[in-house]
Amino acid sequence: MNTFFIAVGLSICLLTLLVLYRVVFGPGVYNRVAAISAIGTKTLIVLLIFGFLYNREDMFIDISMVYALLNFIGCIAAAKYLEMGS
Amino acid sequence: MIYRSDDIIVKTISRILIPFIQLYALYVIAHGHYSPGGGFQGGVILGASLVLLFLTRGYDEAKTRISEKTVIIFASLGLLIYSGIGLICLLLGGNYLDYSKLSVLLHVNPARARALGILGIETGVGFAVMAVMFSIFFDISTGGVLPEDEEEK
Repeated sequence: MNTFFIAVGLSICLLTLLVLYRVVFGPGVYNRVAAISAIGTKTLIVLLIFGFLYNREDMFIDISMVYALLNFIGCIAAAKYLEMGS
Repeated sequence: MIYRSDDIIVKTISRILIPFIQLYALYVIAHGHYSPGGGFQGGVILGASLVLLFLTRGYDEAKTRISEKTVIIFASLGLLIYSGIGLICLLLGGNYLDYSKLSVLLHVNPARARALGILGIETGVGFAVMAVMFSIFFDISTGGVLPEDEEEK
């Protein structure tokens, strides 16, 4: 089962690089904001996979929930900044 | 300057989420010795909930919920709790922040007094961090110039 989790985690890490391309070269600001939000979500999944690998799901679920909250607030702040321009 | 958002999705989601974020922050503070977290992390999450309120409700409405005066009071209260517990330990004949001396006041055994003392310290740290986090965000977003100041000019 551990091999499966390691494979999933590694493939998610590699896929994150594709999203990172969109952050760096993406046309327009909206693509960049959406890509950063997607990277945050992938980081959360990798954290949970780490939790399963170390058999400490309870602790890593706490951390990943905080990460999801901060990702959400950051996304709203970026959207607000784009809307108001200030 | 941040104004009130008119989008119904953002308003509704923030109204639903803010109480749960604050409840989760209290969980992080209270369970700091069993799981990752503690005073600072819980304080940051509490501050994040206030930042979300400020982002979605705008300056005018957020000021009626938590004003600058309240923020200053909370920051000082957190510092007072922290240093107060440390000083009480000092007065009871121990070192600074030596919680086991609190067993005389709380009528429990020293091990239990240590756990309760650490919980008190974490609460103080949580208050201070929440207030200072919100204050930093408040000052950056207004650029240090409040609307009241501009009206007086």
